[in-house]
Amino acid sequence: MSSAHEKPVDPDQVVLWSDDYEGHDVISTRTFGFWMYILSDGMLFATLFAAYGVLSYSHSYYTGPTPAQFVAPWYTFIQTMALFLSVLAYGFSMAAMKTGSKAGVINGIVASMVLGAVFIGLDIHDVLRMISMGVTPEVSGGLSAFYALTQVHAAHIFVGLIWMLVMLYQILKKGFTEDVVGRLISLRMFWQFQAVMWVFIYVFVYLWGYMS
Amino acid sequence: MLVNLPGPWSPLLGRLALSEIPYTNPILAPLFVIIVLAGIALVVGITYYGKWGYLWKEWFTTVDHKKLGIMYIILGLIMLFRGFIDGLMMRTQQMLAVGSGHNGMPLMGAIHGYLAPFHFGQIYSAHGLIMILLAATPLLVGIMNIIVPLQIGARDMAYPYLNALGLWITAAAVFLIMISLFVGDFSHNGWFGYAPIFELAYSPGVGVDYWIWTLELVALGTTLGSINFLATVVKMRAPGVTWTRLPVFTWTAVSANIIALTSFPCLQVALALVGADRYLGTHFFTAGFGGNLMLYTNLFWLWGHPEVYFVILPAFGMISEVIPTFSEKPIFGYITMVLASFAIAGVSWIVWLHHFFTMGMGPYVSTEFSVATMLVGIPTGVKVFNWTFTMYRGRLTFSSAMIWSIGALFLLLIGGLTGMMLSIPAINYMVHNSVFVVAHFHMMLLCIVYAVFSAIIFWFPKVFGFKLNEAWGKIMFWLFSAGTFLVFFPMFMLGFMGETRRLDWPFNLQWAPWFDIQEVGIAVYVLSVLAFLWLIYVSIRDRAENRVGADAWGTSRSLEWITDSPVPFYNFAMVPHVNHRDEAAWRREHGFSDKRPEKFAAIHMPNNTPVAIVIGALTFVIGFGLTWRIWWLTVAALVLTVLVMIYRSGKGDPGYIITAEEMEKMDRESRQKMDDGHAPLPKGGGYTGGTVTAYSAEVGDPGSQSTPPGNSRPLS
Amino acid sequence: MLKKAKPGHWRYLALAPLLLLLNGCAKHSAWWIFNPQGVGAKASYDYMMIDVVVMLSIVGITALLIVWFMWKYHKGKNRGSYDGKWEHSNKLEVAFWGIPIAAVAFLSWAVAVHGSFAVNPYNPTVITQHMKPKGDPIDIDVIATDWQWLFIYPQFHNMAVANELVVPAHTPVFFKLTSTAVTTDFFVPQLVGMIDVMPGMRTKDALESSHLGTYQGIAADYCGAGMSWMLFKTHVVSMADFQHWAKGVESSPNTMDYAQFNRFAEPYINVHNKTPVYGHVEKGLFNHLLLEVMNGKKWPLPMFMTENMFHYLKLQAAEHRA
Ligand code: HEM
Ligand SMILES: [Cu+2]
Ligand SMILES: [Cu+2]
Repeated sequence: MSSAHEKPVDPDQVVLWSDDYEGHDVISTRTFGFWMYILSDGMLFATLFAAYGVLSYSHSYYTGPTPAQFVAPWYTFIQTMALFLSVLAYGFSMAAMKTGSKAGVINGIVASMVLGAVFIGLDIHDVLRMISMGVTPEVSGGLSAFYALTQVHAAHIFVGLIWMLVMLYQILKKGFTEDVVGRLISLRMFWQFQAVMWVFIYVFVYLWGYMS
Repeated sequence: MLVNLPGPWSPLLGRLALSEIPYTNPILAPLFVIIVLAGIALVVGITYYGKWGYLWKEWFTTVDHKKLGIMYIILGLIMLFRGFIDGLMMRTQQMLAVGSGHNGMPLMGAIHGYLAPFHFGQIYSAHGLIMILLAATPLLVGIMNIIVPLQIGARDMAYPYLNALGLWITAAAVFLIMISLFVGDFSHNGWFGYAPIFELAYSPGVGVDYWIWTLELVALGTTLGSINFLATVVKMRAPGVTWTRLPVFTWTAVSANIIALTSFPCLQVALALVGADRYLGTHFFTAGFGGNLMLYTNLFWLWGHPEVYFVILPAFGMISEVIPTFSEKPIFGYITMVLASFAIAGVSWIVWLHHFFTMGMGPYVSTEFSVATMLVGIPTGVKVFNWTFTMYRGRLTFSSAMIWSIGALFLLLIGGLTGMMLSIPAINYMVHNSVFVVAHFHMMLLCIVYAVFSAIIFWFPKVFGFKLNEAWGKIMFWLFSAGTFLVFFPMFMLGFMGETRRLDWPFNLQWAPWFDIQEVGIAVYVLSVLAFLWLIYVSIRDRAENRVGADAWGTSRSLEWITDSPVPFYNFAMVPHVNHRDEAAWRREHGFSDKRPEKFAAIHMPNNTPVAIVIGALTFVIGFGLTWRIWWLTVAALVLTVLVMIYRSGKGDPGYIITAEEMEKMDRESRQKMDDGHAPLPKGGGYTGGTVTAYSAEVGDPGSQSTPPGNSRPLS
Repeated sequence: MLKKAKPGHWRYLALAPLLLLLNGCAKHSAWWIFNPQGVGAKASYDYMMIDVVVMLSIVGITALLIVWFMWKYHKGKNRGSYDGKWEHSNKLEVAFWGIPIAAVAFLSWAVAVHGSFAVNPYNPTVITQHMKPKGDPIDIDVIATDWQWLFIYPQFHNMAVANELVVPAHTPVFFKLTSTAVTTDFFVPQLVGMIDVMPGMRTKDALESSHLGTYQGIAADYCGAGMSWMLFKTHVVSMADFQHWAKGVESSPNTMDYAQFNRFAEPYINVHNKTPVYGHVEKGLFNHLLLEVMNGKKWPLPMFMTENMFHYLKLQAAEHRA
């Protein structure tokens, strides 16, 4: 570094204060922060996956049922489709936002919410079915991990639904302010991320569990 | 789904009952009375002086990163002193209890010493958790909070409201662990917990539940903070602050917060699963039913080891700011310093198994993790060499901040030496779970504490506008160091004598003399705490004499030293344009130190908000409700939290605008106040090194030595 | 008042730092880690010395450098020349990375790799390499309860001793270990390093010593309120003495089946250092226990042994006095 050109500083030329500094861009700052949150959420899921991995040996299920005996990948596939369509619908709503169409945004979010609710409804139904078969988290370490992973994901979806509801209200009440747009973008990241997590869950927990 | 509890439970109060308050305990009852009286005195005092409004407006609802930082630091210091008291109690117990025969106090019901085993267990568990997560972490977060935005020329953190939220959630954790003193028990399973002893069958009380929810709250608060720091450094840098101009402290803050962001979720999951076992009867970590108790240990240390580097890296950063300032030289090897920080952060992820080599994972796995652990020693060593050679060819002033930093170096050397011993399985088998390990990590954590005191002394004048008393800073240093030596040298020796950790009854009389020495040491520590309080008092009393200008030390280096002391709430009247890594040194060297902005612009500042403190209070209620299994309270607080968050989101914060004229006026006033107060410092050395070498004696302060010293390297 | 209970306590204080260090070579030294009497512990000790020498040479030199620079570059003393721009040197920085890299490489090879195999608890080559001992290896099943130890000798009619371990000298001893309730660590500082003892799991360890004597065994990991009392003396005796002792134990009328073990395993703080012997325990007790624990068997702690132990501890003490 000391080899760099060393030229004297002219006191009249030097810039000490940023006269025309605009400040930071609110939306991009918010989005960056939300990326950071997504990263930590990813670690949360990674840890749950690790726990599931460790607790999915045959002895982890003790004498109780193994996923092959109770998961229904076809049923869960409908959940997968619901979630994907929900993400798609949200994508449409964001496209509508670019054109400034309030109705388009609202329609997209409502569709997204309905599909998300379908996902949750199917999930609850599935859990009830399994419980009625005696597949409960207290049965074995393996089932504990199964429920932890799948239901933590479901809880994220539930939070996402509440968030959508709040956003609907805010769009109606405030229109597309900087805050609202920023939140809509964050929500899109959140929603897509949950879909990605679901892909992993679907493949590793449901499909893999069914086959092994 | 909910498990059956071994004790009574009622819908209204959960497990809570009057009998849970240990009013018969001869230690806790008087303490409780004292604390209640002190609390009443405080409340009465504040009311009498009519300060509630001030506190509420200026502190409890603030979103100013400096004020939040100060509150973090106060919180951390209070918990540090609480931790000292725990230490005092543990040392006293071991000193009294050592040896065979009945040497207990019948009055207290103890066979040995004065504490019952279970009580002793609670003390060291609380001590460990408090010191690492509620003392060291808030202290470091507090200092980062104050300094990072200043070092990058920002007006505040990226998300001021989130920042307040982090503080109040951490405060909720502090309240939760403090209340466990007087309502029920705390966990006795050590700060990291063991599987499966924390399962309901083996820890039927509420102690483990307090432990879980305290940790969960700190984890939440710290994760929020880390998001904020990263966004701040990435998005809020002033023009000219390129990545290679980031001060080392800010770099370490970045690396540390990357660690925090990615590792705390592991802790949150691990503890949530413990909670599931205890509340819902799942079998994650049970010995039977297909659970896996080693999983817990893995998950915990998967966070635990990165965590120890999360706390040491900012401390390294502080040392990297203090030593150059008082050596009047730039930091040696800036690039390697930064690389080393990230090397440490990266490697810290792949070493967690060294905390349980004794689990018997086989020689291949052990070796791998042993080598990985030793790899951490490489960048750490590089850092120490760099600090050492920052002093080389310097002009060292041994101010109190400097000696705290140098003390930290020596502790780091000892901690590193012992860490390299522990990282070898063959050696680890002999000293794991012994007080040798305890001594090792206290060297490391004390290195942090030394760095923190160094940083407090160093940056205090920036925040408050006057210096702390130098003499008392040094007296405190020597007392503290005497305490460190007297407590931890014997602890290493006891490790070599085979004393295992967590013994409420040390059975071997041969250990007795060392316990006695340690007891003297902890008494000296207590003196050092008193010296600290006196230091604060004396400094505030004499503040008029110790006022400082912008560049409080005359040899300061980085950007924070160009703005006024005390820092005005808007940090910089005009956002600076940064020309050099060591901007303050650069401006001083070129005689720009006294230049003020000539043009002003309107600025936008965030409003205060009570939402953060309300949510903090609600999270405390959630933690308390969960601990005592008061379901209605938990659910109510949770729903309320969500509603408050939605409310806040709907309201948003438009902030407010300060016009250019007002800014100019405030800047003048701030300047006036600063100049009136302080005697001008001789503007000394502290050259920037590197690219710029022109000197203009005329521009600077006439009396200053702004010419290069005769024996400086010739310019090429 | 308290001090009276510990005669001679202060005497040690006077001797403390120096004499105890010198004392390091004596047979019954207090410096357990520096006085290894078992093959495994000795190997660990040797590795520790290598590590310390290498690391101390670096750390020590660095510390001296720091002190020297503090002296030389003290402002105003004019001992060293100031160069406020010196902040980089390729040569030095290569050295700064190179020295620790070399040290770590050496330690990895010489200590980490070798050591991990040498004292691998499951198959310590320092013991297994030259297994032509004066007797066949001895197997011992170790069961840790809350808070006692049970040592079962399957080769000796399944006899067992609680809270006391007797092994013959010059003979490899192989342990299988498990626990009833919670995790702890098996540790005899002068003979063998720590190994975790976990419920529902089996770990292994091995010990060999050629030094007759009695050594302290410790439960090294926190396992509840009785942990400090969960001690066992380890006697290394000659083969002849061992055979003789085993004869005596085997002929004890005291026996233990699984049901009795169930009671034995109930939480008990061994304040009185009882060491009952059992001429015979149920065959396969160790495996039976493993299986039961995996099936969810627990020995829960009653509330009064956790929250407020005053009353319980008084009871314990009273039992002793009676
Ligand atoms: C040169 C770098 C270091 C090395 C090689 C190292 C190595 C180790 C090893 C191997 C252990 C496990 C000991 C055992 O339980 O048997 C350990 C424990 C520990 N270390 Fe370090 N360490 C280093 C730096 C640090 C730093 C910087 C800190 C934090 C401030 C730290 C804090 C701790 C703590 C808190 C524990 C023990 C926690 C517990 O068991 O309660 N270490 N260290
Ligand atoms: Cu401590
Ligand atoms: Cu570690």
